[in-house]
Amino acid sequence: MEKKFILNGTDIVVKDFKQSAQSLTFNYEGKTYCFDLVTKEDHVVILDDSQKFKATVGSANKDGESIVMVKGREAKISYAGQRIKKHKTHAGGLTSPMPGKIFKILKELGSEVKKGEPILILEAMKMEHSICSDKDGKVKKISYKVGELVQSGVTLAEVE
Amino acid sequence: MKIKKILVANRGEIALRVLKTAKEMGIKVVTVYAEDDKALPHALFADESYSLGLGALSETYLNKNKLIEIAKKSQVDAIHPGYGFLSENADFARLVESSGFIFIGPTAESIVLMGDKIGSKNALEKIKIPMIPGYHGDDQSVENLAKKSKEIGFPVLIKASAGGGGKGMRIVHKEAELTEAIRGAKSEALKAFSNDKVLIEKYVVNPRHIEVQLMSDTHGNHLHFFERECSIQRRYQKIVEETPAPQMSQELRLKICETAVQISSGINYRGAGTIEFILAPDGHYYFLEMNTRLQVEHPVTEMVTGYDLVKFQIFVAQGDKLSVKQSEIMQKGQAIECRIYAEDPDNDFMPSIGKIEKIGVPTLRDVRLDCGFLDGTEVGVNYDPMLAKLIVWGENREVAISKSIQSLDEVLFLGVKTNRDYLKRILGHKKFIAGQTHTHFIPDNKEDLAPKELAPAEIAAMIAGLCFNEQKPQSFQDKPGSVTNPWLELVGFRNV
Repeated sequence: MEKKFILNGTDIVVKDFKQSAQSLTFNYEGKTYCFDLVTKEDHVVILDDSQKFKATVGSANKDGESIVMVKGREAKISYAGQRIKKHKTHAGGLTSPMPGKIFKILKELGSEVKKGEPILILEAMKMEHSICSDKDGKVKKISYKVGELVQSGVTLAEVE
Repeated sequence: MKIKKILVANRGEIALRVLKTAKEMGIKVVTVYAEDDKALPHALFADESYSLGLGALSETYLNKNKLIEIAKKSQVDAIHPGYGFLSENADFARLVESSGFIFIGPTAESIVLMGDKIGSKNALEKIKIPMIPGYHGDDQSVENLAKKSKEIGFPVLIKASAGGGGKGMRIVHKEAELTEAIRGAKSEALKAFSNDKVLIEKYVVNPRHIEVQLMSDTHGNHLHFFERECSIQRRYQKIVEETPAPQMSQELRLKICETAVQISSGINYRGAGTIEFILAPDGHYYFLEMNTRLQVEHPVTEMVTGYDLVKFQIFVAQGDKLSVKQSEIMQKGQAIECRIYAEDPDNDFMPSIGKIEKIGVPTLRDVRLDCGFLDGTEVGVNYDPMLAKLIVWGENREVAISKSIQSLDEVLFLGVKTNRDYLKRILGHKKFIAGQTHTHFIPDNKEDLAPKELAPAEIAAMIAGLCFNEQKPQSFQDKPGSVTNPWLELVGFRNV
């Protein structure tokens, strides 16, 4: 059986996927991997292939993605079928990369902006982040006032 | 007077750091917390802890009157400000003392003197401390500043007198760029610090950031605890610090440390302080600034000298004489500190937030994780994104680097994006290993520090981890043939 995963945004296809309660085998990039489950508790999965090692797995987020750490390396991984398409804002919407406070608004409504030009500044964790226009155009909408708190992923401004 | 109870006016790992030493000394500890911090260990593990309410920092950790009120209510003898927040606020130091408490830090006068970049330089020039060639004068006309820049010789650095964090700072390589740079620096300085006064300095190419740990008592004893190398910085903030500084002759080391002691004795300093120097590739060094508090990176000094700096701070504050002589203080082995930040170094160091599901624990010998969080606590937007400091000691630098890299693998902060992997890339870089550090190390080696691709075996193991974790523990236990745990069958068993 073929099974698809998404790792850090890239599709990963494995072949001959077989899983039981205690073991898992699949072929990835021409090599067959066999893992036995040794034990599992509180985000930590101990696996055994030729040697024992530890995988630490976070809870899945709303998009079905979990953080997995193996040998110190971390990646975001999900089942390809499960991943829900991320809610895309309509064209021209500039979204907040993280929760924060509107620190400063640099452009007035209707003013001309160039691609890459900052429209407003978001303050989060004692640092300032410029929210820049993604194209040449006019500022159509600024959704918040200076000092307002915003959540991650909300539309801060629109350019058309 | 013996200090019996301390209020720690700070949060996170530094509040816990002070708490640990105080407990060791049999001193009771009172901590404070903003409401959004109430699940953090500094709020949980003190003898008493009081809420500062919710709101802007000025209402919570920077609210001087509220802190004094809590100090009175809890009847402490002394207040430790930690670092950041009110630690270098002279008004707070004065208020603490005028309210009848001991301030575990320097005098307000020392804070004022060293807090003013120009004032401190003028004072130190008098006692012949090497200063970077520059102009710190009051004639702030663009014409005069341009003239002075030309006298110093390019490249020059223009920076805000009241500044910090890189704001109001410009590097000028040639005369043609000068006027525009002065205007730009002035306007940025005015916006950021309500003061457009700038100073001009010779710009040292590939400088190293070397600092010296000082400790002074009130009986005229001024000691140093050797240097720290803190050149690895991003956004003008240190992320890797170590001691002893690599690639430094013993002669130069002692000279820099003695210069630092000249400063602490020259200004009759009290308590813990740090002198920061710029070290040029030619071995010349220049005074940069003095930090009149305990530094974030103080643990590396503790690891190689074997002394507890917070303990000395408390002794000095209660008027004791320092119990060690300069000749007894030695550097043994190598210590490296890595600052673990909630940020994405591969995306312009964008801060990250979230719930920490699990914190990894270091397992190697002589490794210290100073961390202000617990499993299940949240990293929010209201505070600095530093999660923890990993401090590693090794008998030599090679061992310290290797142990640091291994320990970084262990100290996962599951649920929050951190710079852990990035720190490993820095420590594993051939120039870092060779001790070729300078303050532009990160931008200069940007390509080498890009993330490495995952190996197929690592990807396979990650897939396995995900697939096994998906199963509910129930089905794992209930499957026929699975091993039953004999301990679970022991009904009525009791420990004797």
